[in-house]
Amino acid sequence: MARPLMIGAAPSTIEAPVEESLTGTDTPWLVIVWNDPVNLMPYVVFVFQKLFGYSLEKATRLMLEVHHDGKSVVSHGTREKAEIDVVRLHAHGLWATMERDRAS
Amino acid sequence: MMAKPRDGGVVLTFEAEEMAYLRAEVGRAAGHLDGGVPQHGADAVRDRLFPRAYVDPTEDRAERDFQSVVHEDLVLAKATSLGAITTALDGGRARRARTEVVVVKAELETWISGLNDVRLVLGTTLGVTEGDNDDEHEDADADEGGRDRPPVSIERAGYDWLTEVQGLLLAVLMGEA
Repeated sequence: MARPLMIGAAPSTIEAPVEESLTGTDTPWLVIVWNDPVNLMPYVVFVFQKLFGYSLEKATRLMLEVHHDGKSVVSHGTREKAEIDVVRLHAHGLWATMERDRAS
Repeated sequence: MMAKPRDGGVVLTFEAEEMAYLRAEVGRAAGHLDGGVPQHGADAVRDRLFPRAYVDPTEDRAERDFQSVVHEDLVLAKATSLGAITTALDGGRARRARTEVVVVKAELETWISGLNDVRLVLGTTLGVTEGDNDDEHEDADADEGGRDRPPVSIERAGYDWLTEVQGLLLAVLMGEA
């Protein structure tokens, strides 16, 4: 596996992921954030906005999905992109995993 | 603790006990960063600080590769955030029995991230669940004057205080305080 990223000295220095186009040979992967009783709601919204550039509205909707449904798909893409997103979420203390998009 | 916004950051004024408590919990969280690449299932706190990426057991090899590649950088990022809090506490200005600690705007995110890890460690240790959050305590207080509120342990009170501090810093960062 290629080294996914340099996290840097602090979360604020983590570089934004590079958008990649999917090919037919790389099944899309889903990045899932799971509900957690510790992370504060505004913190989760802040992290979604910071890492993915989502609007406040979209970040809030995803956070509420995590809170009420237990999880939410927050991004998708190639395996490498998903790994980058997961480690950046882990750096911010969010409980994130990745799995193949079985529907694709 | 008192807080006073200043130049996009905030000045936090801690009582001596609060300073000692925050310093101790930051140190405790930092202690959980040691131990190398996590062996998931062996330590709940480290499992939470360094979660699995792959949930599918057929991807165990990818999981091992992922952890071996990212772990060192994750530890560095978390240690840096925690270290920044300790450094700021060390540089606090004594005001009689209290200490003023300046969190400049550029350090807000680092503090928030570090405090989040401190709360993850404490919350995991205490077994904090969705059902015993602050809102429910507040509802009980509002409805019944707090008479039926279950006793809160010192550890849980400390966790709630850390939640308050992190929430305050978030509000400052978002321009809401």
